[in-house]
Amino acid sequence: MDVYVILKLVWAGLLCVLLIGLGLMVGMDMGVGTLLRFVGRTDGERRTALNIIGPHWDGNQVWFILGGGAIFAAFPTLYATSFSVFYVVMIVLLFSMILRPVAFEYRSKVEARLWRASWDWVFLLSGFLPMFVYGAAFGNILQGVGYHFNWTGQYFQDNSFLTYLLNPFAILCGLMAVSLSVMQGGVMLMIRSENPIHDRAQYFAARAGLMAVVLFLAGGVWVRGMSGFVLEQGDPAMPANPMHGQHVSMQAGAWLHNYAAHPVLWLLPLLGVVCMLAEVALVLANRPRMAWWMGLGAWVGTIGTVAASMFPFFMPSTTSPDQSLTIWNSSASQYGLTCMLAVSLVFVPLILCYTSWCYYVMRGKVHTADIVKDTHSY
Amino acid sequence: MIILLRFAGLGLALVVALLFAVFVGDQGPWYFAWAVGTVMIILVAAAGAVLFDAQDGRDTSQEEF
Amino acid sequence: MDLINPAVVDLSRFQFALTALYHFMFVPLTLGLTFMLAAMETVYVVTGRQVYKDMALFWGKLFGINFALGVATGLTMEFEFGTNWSMYSRFFGDMFGTPLAIEGLMAFFMESTFVGLMFFGWDRLSKPAHLAITYLVALGSNLSALWILVANASMNVPHGAHFDPETLRMTFDSFVGVVFNPDAQAKFVHTSVAGYVAASMFVMGISAFYLLRREHRAFAARSFRMAALFGIFSTVAVITLGDVLGRLDYEHQPTKIAAIEGLWHTSKPPYEPWIVAALPNDAKQESSFEIGVPFVLTPLITHSFDTPITGMIELEDAAAPRIASGITAISALRRYEESHLGADLEVFHAHQNDMGYGLLATRHAPNQDVTAIAPEQLQSVIEQTKPDILPNVFVTFWSFRIMVFLGVFFFVLFAMASYLSLKNQLERNRLFLKLCMWSIPLPVLATEFGWITAEGGRQPWTVFERLPTFMSASTHSMSYMLFSLAGFTMLYSIFIAVELYLMFKFARLGPEAHHQHDDGADPAHLSVVAH
Repeated sequence: MDVYVILKLVWAGLLCVLLIGLGLMVGMDMGVGTLLRFVGRTDGERRTALNIIGPHWDGNQVWFILGGGAIFAAFPTLYATSFSVFYVVMIVLLFSMILRPVAFEYRSKVEARLWRASWDWVFLLSGFLPMFVYGAAFGNILQGVGYHFNWTGQYFQDNSFLTYLLNPFAILCGLMAVSLSVMQGGVMLMIRSENPIHDRAQYFAARAGLMAVVLFLAGGVWVRGMSGFVLEQGDPAMPANPMHGQHVSMQAGAWLHNYAAHPVLWLLPLLGVVCMLAEVALVLANRPRMAWWMGLGAWVGTIGTVAASMFPFFMPSTTSPDQSLTIWNSSASQYGLTCMLAVSLVFVPLILCYTSWCYYVMRGKVHTADIVKDTHSY
Repeated sequence: MIILLRFAGLGLALVVALLFAVFVGDQGPWYFAWAVGTVMIILVAAAGAVLFDAQDGRDTSQEEF
Repeated sequence: MDLINPAVVDLSRFQFALTALYHFMFVPLTLGLTFMLAAMETVYVVTGRQVYKDMALFWGKLFGINFALGVATGLTMEFEFGTNWSMYSRFFGDMFGTPLAIEGLMAFFMESTFVGLMFFGWDRLSKPAHLAITYLVALGSNLSALWILVANASMNVPHGAHFDPETLRMTFDSFVGVVFNPDAQAKFVHTSVAGYVAASMFVMGISAFYLLRREHRAFAARSFRMAALFGIFSTVAVITLGDVLGRLDYEHQPTKIAAIEGLWHTSKPPYEPWIVAALPNDAKQESSFEIGVPFVLTPLITHSFDTPITGMIELEDAAAPRIASGITAISALRRYEESHLGADLEVFHAHQNDMGYGLLATRHAPNQDVTAIAPEQLQSVIEQTKPDILPNVFVTFWSFRIMVFLGVFFFVLFAMASYLSLKNQLERNRLFLKLCMWSIPLPVLATEFGWITAEGGRQPWTVFERLPTFMSASTHSMSYMLFSLAGFTMLYSIFIAVELYLMFKFARLGPEAHHQHDDGADPAHLSVVAH
């Protein structure tokens, strides 16, 4: 196979890894944010919950930034088009995301009750909304998005943003992502908190996990009847230019073609469902550490399922299907992909090492009494 | 033996630093200047603080905080 | 026909400028304060005196308040290229995305992961280990700036990429060329040390406030000393690198340097004055009044006494043939897109260096279509396009001057501060302390004007001489832009109010809970506090 094609594939795979890392790590923090008002009744309890992720949320959030950066570098056309096509949704996501670092830093710096109560609502908003939008974005690209390019490569939008928000399938996907994040957030709280936070987190984590399973299966059934896209003609080694060189058709149920062709892919949805159920069981059995790792499996299964059914599409276009963005026509140049790969090979292992080391240094239960005493805590 | 290893490690670090300095100094002199300059600024500021302690060392215990 | 709406382009530019300037209110402090924290903690680890740990903790707390907003508003920047500059991102993303992604991988991850340990790890790490973490945070935040400025420099001086007619975008071809772009080097050092200046002024000003109130004197006098010395060396570096950048602009971006200097006509060395103040009029293309210092401009910019600097009118005239050639290039490229004939490609290759100037004519072409310009219209289109090659002279000229005047002021201020601090004569000079206190916001102001000079002076291009700004924006509707602008304005106003409130609150409170301690010279006491 052509080196360029291999590079494109490797980067599509790395993008999946990033999306999984984003869902798992950022989702976990968002879940804690969503749950904050429910697991913590007193101010001390809420501060405890915040300080459990306190030393790590900033590092975790970089997964999100890195996700954006990697799409920009590896698939610039995808970055340019998807972010603009989803403009209003993206801006809402951005607003809720930028509220979060501020909320962490400012919430406990002032004693007033109204002040802290307001920031607690901000945590709910900035935990729920981004995960919802994250899931809803997957829902939307599965259904296809309305856009086309003119000859210079400028994109033009053909649908109103309302179709991306008021869209039952997208809402289902959004809620699914929120459920996974709440489950993971609850598990993290269980690992590092004591009662009463521990038991409340257990309560919410188990229910969110069950909801995730139900929504995941419902989504699967829905996709069967949905109109999918098929790449009829297109050379994987083509120059990355979405304006011509592809022929794409829309067919009902096409998103299951890859599964029909390669039945081994069914292992991905299976992995997702099994891990979600196992996580619920482990949460109920009070084994949060093992449950946390099941969360990884759940995200791998979920993102993997979507990736397997859409391959090689990134963002199909309903109004101009031939200009649909695929792995082949939206990537960076061979040189750019090579550079990025070399840099990643050096830094990704390094990042994994020092991130784990940070968790190791900050390990152990967080006690409410210590948090309230310490003037430097969140 | 441990001392020998330490020297070997130190030597390796020096060689790496030297190669880095030669390469960056050649390709990007301003980057090199930044690295050296920043270290210098920190050391000067730190020296200023230590100097303060020396100038002021006679009666710190009485000083109001 | 899909047309470009100039109002949407203007709103996109306004939104980007607003969010970038706002982001950059917090970045300089992060860049500098991290290294100052490292310097303070170094003294603490070496001497073991508690007061230096108090310094690291207190300034660290103020750093944290600032850092949160820097991170939050940085998220906007990472997204905005995609959400608002779609054409730019597609056209230049192959090259531009790489430094941004490396920034995340190499710098931002390191900074963000270790900043948690820096705040929360005091009791869990040994003293040297915590110090190492602080240095890593400082290095991380500055490496972050490095990659962002490498990306930015490639917009100003597009080294390491060429246009590829197959993909209709700039193709990345030299990593070394991008990273060691001379503009990137000088810009990074200039910006990073400008951050050092901002942080020095911040620490010095707040320390001056304590000295004025005769509170926390041991703490404040030491902080002041360190900040003053940190500041004087940084200011010298900022000025040196500013000079280097000026010369690079002279070599690579003649329109920017001519606008900065308000030079409408080519200079006459060696007499040509450096204009201190003027009122440039963009519409009339002349300055209505000028005061200058003779014999300064030529050696300042060119480091020689006999090299002329091309003026803006002459640059416009020189651009006319490039606009014509660019229109030919675009027409050939469009034919090639449809026909894929080698002949069209050859025509394009012959004119491809002027492609950007062809795109610049889009606004004046019938139906915004350069390929539809009839031969008899060509001359009038060129005449209309010519003045477009210049940035806004008034803005560029004055933002540069404000930055430079402030820089000179900092130099004097830090020099005096260092002298008075070394002589231990600060508390007698209350007026000077007040001046230090009131100067806290000035370095941030200077960096903002520096950014306006650099990026405003780059106009009308997003990628210099390759892609015009008005073509780079996403094709949103007005209502989308109004929605996002309203949201940003509201959120950012709340943020700045909260930030200032907290900054003032904690600065007033001072280094808390250390009122009972003495200087920490007593080793028994130390072992309790710094286990």
